[in-house]
Amino acid sequence: MAAPSAPPSVVGPLPAFDLETPRRRRRPSGWHLFLLPLALVMLTPLVWMVITAVSTTQESRQFPPKLPTSIQWSNFSNVWTGSPFGHWLLNTAIVSVIVVISNLVLCSTAGYAFARLRFRGSGLAFILLLATLMVPFQVVLIPTLLIVKSFGLIDRLGALIVPNLVTAFGVFLMRQFFLALPPDLEEAGRIDGASRLGVFRKILLPLMGPPLATLAILTFLSIWNDFLWPLVAIQSPQNMTMQLGLSTFQGAHLTDWPLLMAATLMSQLPVIVLFLAGQRMFVRSIASSGIK
Amino acid sequence: MASKSRPVVAVALGLLTTLCLSACSSGGSGGGSSKAGGVVHITLSHGYTDVEAKEITREVATWNAANPKIQVKLLFNGGNDGALQKTLANMAAGSSPDIAYEYGSSMAALAGRPQVDDLTDKVNAASFNWNDFYSFERDAATSSGKVYGVPALVDNLALVYNKKLFDAAGVAYPTATWSWDDFRSAAKKLTDSAHKQYGWAYVADGSEDTTWRWLAMLWQAGGDLLSSDGTKAAFDSTAGLKATQLLHDMAVTDKSVYLDQGNGNYLNLFNSGKIAMLWTGPWDLSSINPDVSYGTQFLPAAEGTHSSIAGPDNWMLFNNGAAREQAAWTFLTWLVSTQTHGQFTLATGDLPTRESETKLPSYAQYLKKYPGDAVFVDNLKNVTKSRPNTKTYPQVSQAIGSQVQGVLIGHTSPQDALKAAAQQADSALASGS
Amino acid sequence: MTSTQAPPSAAPEPTRSRPSLLRRVWWSDALAGWGFISPTVVLIGLFGLVPLVWAFVLSFEKNDLISPGKWVGLSNYRKLLHDPQFSNSVRNTIEYTLVFVPVCVIGSLLIAAAMNRRIRGMTFYRVAVFIPVVTSTVATATMFNWLLDPDFGLVNAALHKVGIANQGFFRDPHEALMSIVGMTVWGWLGFGVIIYLAALQSVPPDLLEAAAIDGCTRWRAFWRVEVPLLAPTTLFLVIWLTINSLQLFDEIFVTTKGGPVGSTTVVVYYLYQQAFQFFNGGYASAVAFALFVAILVITVIQLTIGRRISHGER
Repeated sequence: MAAPSAPPSVVGPLPAFDLETPRRRRRPSGWHLFLLPLALVMLTPLVWMVITAVSTTQESRQFPPKLPTSIQWSNFSNVWTGSPFGHWLLNTAIVSVIVVISNLVLCSTAGYAFARLRFRGSGLAFILLLATLMVPFQVVLIPTLLIVKSFGLIDRLGALIVPNLVTAFGVFLMRQFFLALPPDLEEAGRIDGASRLGVFRKILLPLMGPPLATLAILTFLSIWNDFLWPLVAIQSPQNMTMQLGLSTFQGAHLTDWPLLMAATLMSQLPVIVLFLAGQRMFVRSIASSGIK
Repeated sequence: MASKSRPVVAVALGLLTTLCLSACSSGGSGGGSSKAGGVVHITLSHGYTDVEAKEITREVATWNAANPKIQVKLLFNGGNDGALQKTLANMAAGSSPDIAYEYGSSMAALAGRPQVDDLTDKVNAASFNWNDFYSFERDAATSSGKVYGVPALVDNLALVYNKKLFDAAGVAYPTATWSWDDFRSAAKKLTDSAHKQYGWAYVADGSEDTTWRWLAMLWQAGGDLLSSDGTKAAFDSTAGLKATQLLHDMAVTDKSVYLDQGNGNYLNLFNSGKIAMLWTGPWDLSSINPDVSYGTQFLPAAEGTHSSIAGPDNWMLFNNGAAREQAAWTFLTWLVSTQTHGQFTLATGDLPTRESETKLPSYAQYLKKYPGDAVFVDNLKNVTKSRPNTKTYPQVSQAIGSQVQGVLIGHTSPQDALKAAAQQADSALASGS
Repeated sequence: MTSTQAPPSAAPEPTRSRPSLLRRVWWSDALAGWGFISPTVVLIGLFGLVPLVWAFVLSFEKNDLISPGKWVGLSNYRKLLHDPQFSNSVRNTIEYTLVFVPVCVIGSLLIAAAMNRRIRGMTFYRVAVFIPVVTSTVATATMFNWLLDPDFGLVNAALHKVGIANQGFFRDPHEALMSIVGMTVWGWLGFGVIIYLAALQSVPPDLLEAAAIDGCTRWRAFWRVEVPLLAPTTLFLVIWLTINSLQLFDEIFVTTKGGPVGSTTVVVYYLYQQAFQFFNGGYASAVAFALFVAILVITVIQLTIGRRISHGER
């Protein structure tokens, strides 16, 4: 194993590349030739959405799509004033934040247990957990609804929160990340007399910055974009979440595309902001969790 | 490190608790209620958006102001395409609204359920004037001889064409006596592959949208969908072959048909002057851009019948107790009355559901505001047959839809397609309950 | 408080107290283990397993999801074996999965490796790659319907410039499924990339320093050092993407709706038709459980292979 003076610690993005050219970082990297086209391909829908969002309804009803002659910023304000957009935002935010915090706690503890603790029934429990991922939601939609109803949560935000407090996906993800940590870290901690919980909290968790950030973003995203479950669990307009709200812009035969795109863009902003913040967390946790 | 994490954990827990408390306390009533104080609260679930949503909100507000004893709350169902799924989930969870807007095609799934109200006696009351509604609407609201819905919307398919493209190609506008041959040759003349212009557009996604246009053609050729007792497919006939052959000739041989993927792109292309003719309903008229000069006409005929097809939707009532049912019926009677629905059509451009609406003084105003609708209203008399309201219809529709799609893309021959569709339909009909 | 300062002599004497220490460790492990997972097990058990069992029972009934069902034993399953539309959907699903999963995993790995470096604009690239993951299925579908439109789409226009004939894409029974693969790969690459990025962040840099000093090229170092360390992450992605692609539904629903002529009808789409369009709830449940068994078996195989590989590494 590595020399005792340097326990594996997360110290930042790979410097190996820069090791070879430490003083020549001024030269633009050749990787741009690959990354830039890739980024453009990935960004195409965003560009199309922005173009549609600033077009008039009439302009959006053309095909092939054309650039708008003038920019209709009013579409964005119309979404705010013409619909309870702020309300949908608030509802979805409440649900997402609670679910994300809960998942961070429960998935990391369970993931650690499945990865590092040996106890009877852990294998079976893990397989059963995974099994819940293997049936499409449409099949269990109605029984889940009945269970939620028995708790009296129908048409409350609680219906969207409680079933999602922990997800098998998150447990699985955390388990894999914990498996990637060297086991010796814990050994040393245990020898010191720390309890499992102590080792978990003080040694391992600080190293899990990037995985936890990833879990937070992906969980947030899945709640933010969920449509089917809120559709059947929520009835009153004041409890509608974002995707349900967006569906009010989409008629059976008639869709106001500019409004829908403006609304969709605004609805995706929080997720992107969260992602950017998550990126920062990577760097900060790396920098601060240095060699102890 | 340890001391740093404790306050963070505390804040997180505090935040969690606060948010939890706020979430658990913000709840909705889930439905209506009937209180001893005499005010009955009922809920109406709908999929209206845009202009229709504004109008129904206005109408409900008017009602609520004038009827303090019956208060109506509007619920949005997530869009009519998902309405049935939501209704089924609601019924399973025991929390149905009082009135719900349902597609006509959902009638078969919902009719006869204990949660769904039987309205036969109610509609047959003299004061309701059930016969004022067009006959095919009444058929669409009936299943096994009982009435379970009240018409909410009616439409039909007619020919909508781009006048400028016709002028440019030197083709005479469609007339009320057009035959299939006239239609086909016009489409051919209006197709210009160099400019990617098509004479006709057909929704070819294999869904009911594909099937129902074909059904209109089947009826135009004098055919029938099912045998008179409804147990066997009857569309694998000369008439069926004629209809399917026409599609093949136009789409594969002439290449004059744009095949829409079901995402409504045909309308955008129509607006851009790339498609000359559509078979569509009044719902598309408001999406046609003002710079497109269009006309409407009856569908062409094969044997002299310019048969069209309609897709009526219904208001259905759900059982939430006698008081709410009574209140819901009172409100609904008002909502579908000649006067109120006349207002609705004036605001939205939807077609009248009752013949008496065409006698209203505001009807002339309606025709002036929506000139395209005039032909659609006249076309209602061309709707002589309806799609069956049986539980097995969706499977029959799917069988036909996917085979017609195969013909349109040149994958299947008309004969093979009909045979395969009839086979699938027969087995669905046989195993159906 | 680093552990490495503690003298190794703190380890218990082997002969005297080993049995009781082991049992103590075992008990405390078991307690800690169950303690750590109990809220998770309760919640997922209630909202995940109970509905699963309910749906399983449903597969033995003829049930239209509203009125009480009728027990029909194994007849739904027997019907499955002779249903040509079901076998067609199975074929399509397998074909889709066999292409989607490898392309996505390898693609994400390579892109993540390319992104795991400090060059200017990296945040922009990372956000750009993540955008498709955030974009709703409806918006994605509308985009791709336009891009891949046989007459007016950008892709055919570009192909035309290099002399390739117009492709049918969503309209061609032979190309529709692969077009869906293209669309979903585009949508899922970012997912794999951010997971791989998180994993790459925890690769100890001294290992790479050692490799560089040993004369390894960057490329070899990548394959010999980093990729094996990413094994648990790769296993996760392979399993997760397989589970998801075998349950593909949303993208089909908003684009091809199972067509043309059934070429993109996958198992879950078939199931959806049976349950919510044809009201054969019991039969749909049987389809779901046949799928479930297949996914379970495949996942267990993947987990076993994964464990063998990681044991082999040691």
